[in-house]
Amino acid sequence: MAIIKTQDLSKVYNPDTIPVHALRDVNISFEEGEFTAVRGPSGSGKTTLLNMLGGLDKPTGGSVWINGEDISAMKDSDRIDFRLKNIGFVFQHYNLIPVFTARENVSFIMLLQKRDKKEIQKRADELLDQVGLGERKDARPVQLSGGQQQRVAVARALASEPKFILADEPTANLDTKAAMNLLDIMERMNKEENVTFIFSTHDQRVIDRARRVVTMVDGAIHKDEVKEVTQAG
Amino acid sequence: MKTLLTIAWRNIWRHPARSSVMIIAIVVGLWAGVVTVGIMNGMMIQRTNYMIESEITHAQIHHPEFLSEGYSRLYIPDHGNITAWLDEDERVQSYTNRTLTDGMIQSAVKTSGIRIRGVDIEAERATTTFHENMTEGEYLDSDISNAVIVGEALAEAHNMDIGHRVVLTFENVDNELTSGAYNIVGFFRSASVNYDERNVFVRAEDFNRLLSPEPLVHEIAVMLNHEEMADGFVNDVNSTFSGIEAQTWRQLSPELSMIVELGGVMMVVITAIIMIALAFGILNTMLMALFERMRELGMLISIGMSRMRVFAMIMLESMILTFSGAIVGMGIAVLHLSYYKDAGMNIEVFAGGAAQLGWDHIIYPVLTTNEYVAILSVVICITLLASVYPAIKGVRVNPLEASKSN
Ligand SMILES: Nc1ncnc2c1ncn2[C@@H]1O[C@H](COP(=O)(O)OP(=O)(O)O)[C@@H](O)[C@H]1O
Ligand SMILES: [Mg+2]
Repeated sequence: MAIIKTQDLSKVYNPDTIPVHALRDVNISFEEGEFTAVRGPSGSGKTTLLNMLGGLDKPTGGSVWINGEDISAMKDSDRIDFRLKNIGFVFQHYNLIPVFTARENVSFIMLLQKRDKKEIQKRADELLDQVGLGERKDARPVQLSGGQQQRVAVARALASEPKFILADEPTANLDTKAAMNLLDIMERMNKEENVTFIFSTHDQRVIDRARRVVTMVDGAIHKDEVKEVTQAG
Repeated sequence: MKTLLTIAWRNIWRHPARSSVMIIAIVVGLWAGVVTVGIMNGMMIQRTNYMIESEITHAQIHHPEFLSEGYSRLYIPDHGNITAWLDEDERVQSYTNRTLTDGMIQSAVKTSGIRIRGVDIEAERATTTFHENMTEGEYLDSDISNAVIVGEALAEAHNMDIGHRVVLTFENVDNELTSGAYNIVGFFRSASVNYDERNVFVRAEDFNRLLSPEPLVHEIAVMLNHEEMADGFVNDVNSTFSGIEAQTWRQLSPELSMIVELGGVMMVVITAIIMIALAFGILNTMLMALFERMRELGMLISIGMSRMRVFAMIMLESMILTFSGAIVGMGIAVLHLSYYKDAGMNIEVFAGGAAQLGWDHIIYPVLTTNEYVAILSVVICITLLASVYPAIKGVRVNPLEASKSN
């Protein structure tokens, strides 16, 4: 069964003034373990789609089902709780709590989930090691590079053990090296731990790393291809 | 939740200058407010105690019409019975009989209306501290016959000096106009210029000779062991004796008791005014901190932090900010007040005219635990009020703030 499924998903911004049809009857589903890129020109509706899938915004038409639950019908407070338990987020920027260290940022989400204190410490340390920040655990976001900050964000998203992780242009502010490094980590987590990733991008090098590429044009799914590339290395 | 406290605390120090300024404003505001209240309170208590101890005493007994009419014929009937009763009453610390009449004083310069107060020196000394008000010359215990002491203010108006003679004119008990020549032996200054201009003191025995064949008593001033006993005592006197009226100091000097009552209200008002001013500062600081953090708050709500927690986090932030300032401010104020509580604070620089209005210029500030609690309650209420609005703003943040690309 698909973990995410949309049904005639539409979003119209400013319906009363100058309506913008950001999504037009989108029907798409995502399976567990996918590593999917959502591509498309600027303004094509990538961010809007990811926001809908993550329950950050309400559709103006249609619905979003996650694990068989209609999240568009949920109360705001229930949706927040649902996100905490089921969805990991990596944003383009402003991902981290500036007054917290890398370790505290990763621990924070687990504290919100009311997990055991000891387990939280252990897991935060492990995850930071895995994203290659074992040496920078006590650094605050300002002391980290853009790539390092995004890796902390990925570690934070993984920490909550979500059903899937949504990343809206996670590499947009990174140089090639940092971008590839972030992709390496995401890919490894996907392969080794079967973590589902859905990320938007318009960077061809990032698109090349995806196993499924969804192309959006003008608020609609233009193309949806699954590449059966076997990665060498 | 400890984590929320940590975030709140660190967020406060994100802008050290801004937060420090706010905290310092709160410290100074509270410090000044508490000290002011303490001084006012001290002034009030000193004023009241002074009035009670020097003149009014806890309770007085008169002919029911004497206070409004002032005629010498309105004396206390059978005062011996009353004083005998007072001698037996355990609540009574001491009492003194006074012979009073309204009259005129005539000097070489002019004539003024005054109240002549004939006092029993021994009993008066044992009961009140009025004799400590002498600024020049001596109290009435000199050998000079027909001695009179007058207020400094009156002496000035009449160009009087010690040794001068004045004529006191008044109605005797038979309503006949009577005069007597008196020798000025001293000047006094009480807490009120007004009082000093309108009262002169003579020895009761000198005065009584001119008033009536029998010694008259118009006022019995009673000092009790405790101020709180006044109401009960006055009730007992009134129900035991007829033809007289006993009153407590509160009834005798309504303006004094009103000052005491107003003092309590003023304290809350001053604290509230200071805190309201600070509240706008807190509000401003918190809103500034909030508006530059909209995206961060959007991110927190996006990843699953409940709006209740966001609310709590912002409330904690304002509360830590305010209370750290408030506690330090109160702490300094407590130390400051406890120093002046014994040493006294000379407010002459600020209130040169204080004496003119009948206030001491050395103030011993007083603040009781109850008053500290009252001030703290005002601080807490206003802090909560000032924190709620930013917290509500923060709670309403749209999670989409976090995913905005610009
Ligand atoms: N909050 C908004 N209000 C009005 N229009 C919006 C808003 N957000 C996005 N849009 C519009 O919706 C369309 C899709 O935007 P978006 O999902 O951000 O595209 P992408 O992420 O692919 O660049 C664009 O035309 C954009 O201008
Ligand atoms: Mg976008």
